[in-house]
Amino acid sequence: MVHQPISAFIIDDDKIFVYGFNKLLQLRHLDAQIQAFNNGKEAIDFLTNPINSQFLPDIIFLDINMPVMNGWEFLKEFEEIQSQLGKKISIYAITSSVDVNDIERAKNNTLIKDYILKPINDTHLKQIFNLHGDEYVSKAQLS
Amino acid sequence: MSFQEGQKYTGGTMAHSAHVLNTIDVGIWEYNITTKKVIWSAGFYKNLGYAPCEIDCSQRYFFDELLYYKDRDTFINTIRHASEEPATTQIRLLTKKCGYHWFESKAYKTETEAGTVLYGIISNINEYKLLEYQAAENSFLCAETNRIAKMGGWEIQTESMSLRLSKEIYDIYELDAQVPLSVEEAISFFEPAYRPLIIDAIDNAVKYCKPYDMELLFRSAKNNLKWVKAKGVPVLDKYGKCVVLRGIFQDIDSIKRRGINLQSSINLLDDQNKRLQNFAYIVSHNLRSHAGNLKFMVNLYEETDHKSDRDEIFSHIKTISNSFNATMGHLDEIVKIQSEIGRERKPVNFEKTFNNVLSALTTNIAAANATINADFSSCKQINYIPAYLESIFQNLLTNALKYKHPDRAPVINCYTKQSGNHIYLIFEDNGVGIDMQRYGNDVFGMYKTFHQNPDSQGIGLFITRNQVEALGGSIKVESTVNVGTKFTVRLV
Repeated sequence: MVHQPISAFIIDDDKIFVYGFNKLLQLRHLDAQIQAFNNGKEAIDFLTNPINSQFLPDIIFLDINMPVMNGWEFLKEFEEIQSQLGKKISIYAITSSVDVNDIERAKNNTLIKDYILKPINDTHLKQIFNLHGDEYVSKAQLS
Repeated sequence: MSFQEGQKYTGGTMAHSAHVLNTIDVGIWEYNITTKKVIWSAGFYKNLGYAPCEIDCSQRYFFDELLYYKDRDTFINTIRHASEEPATTQIRLLTKKCGYHWFESKAYKTETEAGTVLYGIISNINEYKLLEYQAAENSFLCAETNRIAKMGGWEIQTESMSLRLSKEIYDIYELDAQVPLSVEEAISFFEPAYRPLIIDAIDNAVKYCKPYDMELLFRSAKNNLKWVKAKGVPVLDKYGKCVVLRGIFQDIDSIKRRGINLQSSINLLDDQNKRLQNFAYIVSHNLRSHAGNLKFMVNLYEETDHKSDRDEIFSHIKTISNSFNATMGHLDEIVKIQSEIGRERKPVNFEKTFNNVLSALTTNIAAANATINADFSSCKQINYIPAYLESIFQNLLTNALKYKHPDRAPVINCYTKQSGNHIYLIFEDNGVGIDMQRYGNDVFGMYKTFHQNPDSQGIGLFITRNQVEALGGSIKVESTVNVGTKFTVRLV
C-alpha cells in the first residue's frame, strides 16, 4: 500500500492544546499532517478557496467555544459547502464543555462523528486513527 | 249624582254589607269617638285566631293586650291623620297561637249622624313581611359581599345599548353621583391601551354571544389607576340572539399587583437561575480546560526526554498557571458582586468618578489618540455603590478603546440622562462595532469574544452587566459594524 499520511485539521483557539495534540501525535509516531486554525472562519476560508482543493483533510478536530466563528457556526457553514468539497471528511468535536445542551446538540448533529472531552488521550487517538487506515495504527505504538 | 259617586255604596245597601263584612277574610273595626263604642268584625277575631266572645272587644284591650307596645305610637299617629283617605301603617298584633303577627292597618275617619267614627281594616301580612325581611337580609348580604369583594354588577340592553351599573361599580369608578353612563363613557375610564380589548370583547359578546373574562387597567374619576376584572355573559333570546349582556366588574388591584410582583420575582429568579447555570457551565468549562491542559502537558513532560521539548512544555505549564490564576481572579470578582449588593449606596458624583477612571487609563487613551467627551450636566450624581460605578466606567471605557476602528482615532461620548425615576448612563464610540445579528445575544455573556484581539477576554461586559443588574438596573447595546457601538445603562 502506498504510504500516505492522514491529513487532519484542528480548529481550536487554545494554542496549548494544539501544541499538545501535535506533540502527542509525534510521540506516538502517528504519521499525520496537522493543520491548525484559530477559529471556524479561518478553516472555512481555507476549505472554500479553490487553490486548496488538493489539500482537503480526512479529519477535522473541532472545538466548540471559539471567538469569531464557533464550532456550531462552522458546522452550519460546512454543511453548505460539504457537497462541493468532493471528499468525505470526518468531524470530531473536541471540547471542554460539559454543558448538557452542547452534548445533546452534538449528538443530534449528523456531521459530528463523536464528541470527545478534552484532554485527548491515547484511547481517543486509537479510536480515531483506527477508523482511518490500519497501516497507521500498526505503525503507532499505541498502548 | 256623578258616575263616580254611583260606584259607591249608599246607606240603603249598608245593611246587606254587614253580612259580607263578617264573612271576608280581613278584620274590620270601628270606633265611635263620641260614644266610645267599639265594633270588631268576625274577620277581626278570626284574623287573630280567637272566637268572637273570647276576648274583650274594647279600646283598652286592643291597646293593652293586642297591639305590640312598640307599635303603639305609630298606630296612634296614623289614626290621628286618618280621614276619608286611608292612613296606612304596619303593626304587630298578638295572635292566639302564633305570637305577634304583622298586619297592615288602614284607618279612616268619617262623620256620621252618630258622631265621629274611626274605622279601619287589618289584614295579615306576616308571610309577606317575613319574605321582605329575608329579602332585605339577602340583599344586605349581597351588598355587603359585593362591598367587601369590591365588585358590582352591570347590564347592557343590546337593542338600545343602554347601560345599568350597580352602586358598587360607581364606587369603583369613584363617581360620587350615580349619573347614568353610556357604554362609551364607561369604556373611556379604561386605560387607552386596554380600550380596544374591552370594545372587542363587548362587540364579540353582542354579535357572536361570546362571554369574556378579562383583567384590565382602569383609571377612576379620581385619577386612581387600578386593575379591574371585567366579566361579561350574554343572555340569549329563544332565537339565540344576545338581548342582554350582563356581568360583573371588580377591583382586583391588590391581587393583581401581588400577582404581577410575584411574576416579576419569578422572572427575576428564573433569569438569575439561568445565569447561574450558565455561569456554572462556563466556570466548569474554563477550569476544566485549564486543568485538562495542565494534565496534558504534565503527561507529555514525563514522556519526553528532549531538553528542548521539556523547556517548551514547561513554558506552556507556566502559561496555564497564569491563565488559571486569571480565571480565579474573574471568579472572585463575580462572586464579589453578589456579596457586595448589600453594601450601602452613597451619593456618587459622575464627573469625579469618571475623572478618576480617566486618569487611571491615561496611557491607553494617549496610545489610542482618543477624544473623550463627557457631559454629566443632565444628572450630576446618583445613589450608588461607588466601586461599581467606577468599575462600570472603567469597563465601558476600556472596551471603547480596545475595539477602536483601525482607520480612525476613537471618539467616545459619555453622558447621563434622567427620565422619570430612572437615571441612564450612555456610552457611544466610533469603533469597529459588533455584528448584532450574530452576537447580539452573547455581548454580555461570559468569555464571549467577537474580535481576535489578543486582550479580548470576554469578562468586562459580563461583570458590568452583573453589577448593573445586581443593583436593579439594566444594560442594552446598539451597534453597527464599522460605525460604532452605543451602550445604554439604566443605573436605577
